[in-house]
Amino acid sequence: MTAIKIENLTRDYKVGFGGFKKVRALDNLNLEIFPGEIFGFLGPNGSGKTTTIKLILGLIKPTKGKITVLGKNPSDTAIKRRIGYLPESPYFYDYLTAYEFLSFCAEVLNAKENKIDELLQLVDMKEARDVQLKNFSRGMLQRIGVAQALLGDPELIILDEPMGGLDPIGRKEVRDIIVNLRKEGKTIFFSSHILSDAEMICDRVGILVKGKLLKVGRTAQILSEEIESIEITAKNISQNQEEELSRISSRILKSDNKVMFIVSTPEERDKVIKYIIATGGEIISVVPRRKTLEEYFMSFVR
Amino acid sequence: MKLKPIIINTFIESVRDRILIILIVLGLLLMASAKIIQPLALGEESKIIKDLGLSAINLVSVLIAIFVGGRLIYKEIEKRTIYIVLSKPVRRWEFILGKFFGLLLVLFVSLLILAIGFFIVLLLTNIRADFTLLLPLLLLIFQLAIITALAIFFSTFVTPIGASIFTFILYFVGHLTRDLKAFAAMVKNPVITFIANLFYYLLPNLANFNIKGMVVHNVPIPPSVLLLTILYGILYSAGLLFLSVLFFQRKDL
Repeated sequence: MTAIKIENLTRDYKVGFGGFKKVRALDNLNLEIFPGEIFGFLGPNGSGKTTTIKLILGLIKPTKGKITVLGKNPSDTAIKRRIGYLPESPYFYDYLTAYEFLSFCAEVLNAKENKIDELLQLVDMKEARDVQLKNFSRGMLQRIGVAQALLGDPELIILDEPMGGLDPIGRKEVRDIIVNLRKEGKTIFFSSHILSDAEMICDRVGILVKGKLLKVGRTAQILSEEIESIEITAKNISQNQEEELSRISSRILKSDNKVMFIVSTPEERDKVIKYIIATGGEIISVVPRRKTLEEYFMSFVR
Repeated sequence: MKLKPIIINTFIESVRDRILIILIVLGLLLMASAKIIQPLALGEESKIIKDLGLSAINLVSVLIAIFVGGRLIYKEIEKRTIYIVLSKPVRRWEFILGKFFGLLLVLFVSLLILAIGFFIVLLLTNIRADFTLLLPLLLLIFQLAIITALAIFFSTFVTPIGASIFTFILYFVGHLTRDLKAFAAMVKNPVITFIANLFYYLLPNLANFNIKGMVVHNVPIPPSVLLLTILYGILYSAGLLFLSVLFFQRKDL
């Protein structure tokens, strides 16, 4: 069974006066999220990530297509007890304290009150327990948001830009929380436009641009597919050798007595290495340069 | 049923809002001004002070219903708190009813504070207060239920300012519907009569709830009138809430 199954999902928004014009926010999306995985749903702002999440939660209805969440239709209120959700840049009730807000959530979820303090500890907000939420910074609200999403001990956790508004330490903490949740067997679906976070923790990623899913696969696979170049660093290279090698490599960089040859294929790599060894040069290192998810992602967006 | 947490949440959130406190203080000050005008009342002081007090309570509680009520649903959408609530096992009708009863609770408590202020003013001005003074307040609660339901109804599809303005207009018109009925009886054209009658039955009839004048002038009010008015308040609010839920179910958030 899949945690989330999305089939041919399309969603249009009516815009303009009278709503006669339509904008397609999501175009024929097909996606499956499996139990126990961390799935990163990546894309630039306005690519349709939040629309997809709202559809999964039944907050809006699809124009076309079908969604199954934990085996049920998203409009089924009963499954919401098994889902934790953090909206993008959350705002909560201004005049409630962190504890009051969480105990409201606990009551709605039929969750135990004693879980609240445990979660406040987890998101490092114990000190702010009795402070009204209107006095919270964006990062603090984000932490409370994470806490409320985990309150009902859900099996599926949907996080919309969970690292938004957090400083590097906060982001690391959220990453650690997500990784720990996977250890507990939870399924995590999170959207982000910050790719380095996703790169570090996701089992699989999907890349959504302008409402279309461009690519989906294992994070490592998507990366290994895309070796951009290989850097070979050597020393004891004479002017002659260098001239000879410049015919094979695409770029040559020099510093002190070291020379770096940048090639783009494994064949070129082998040729360069053989030539250097044969002519008495010394190889210091051979490093494949992978495209980071960031670069990969930007190549699609352009 | 998840009504209770939503009612309590709405109550706390509204009670801590400054606008509510400002309005209640305004009402108390209005009533306290009775002490100043007392020497000018020339023997009519009992009627004038009672009338002033009841009017102040009426005004302030209607303003609370319109302004706090108008923002109630929209604020949740705008601030996205509604996503938090509706992504949890809460049905949309539970949300609407929770908001409605939450605000009604706020109004009831405000009314209580204002009523206590009113009776203190009566005590200070040596005016004899009796039980009949509570009757207009009783009907006021049901009138407020209609106004709150109107504000919620409008705020399911227009902005908070729009909802407040529409609610205010209907509150105003709601006190004039008797004229519409009289107008319908007067006109000869059957189409106009039909339309006037239609509006008479469709628009809230709020004038019936206003028994302040009768109470102040010691005119007896038959219990059947009281009961029918209360019943009307309940049914009209229920109808509005039903429509609100209908709209809200289809709404894209």
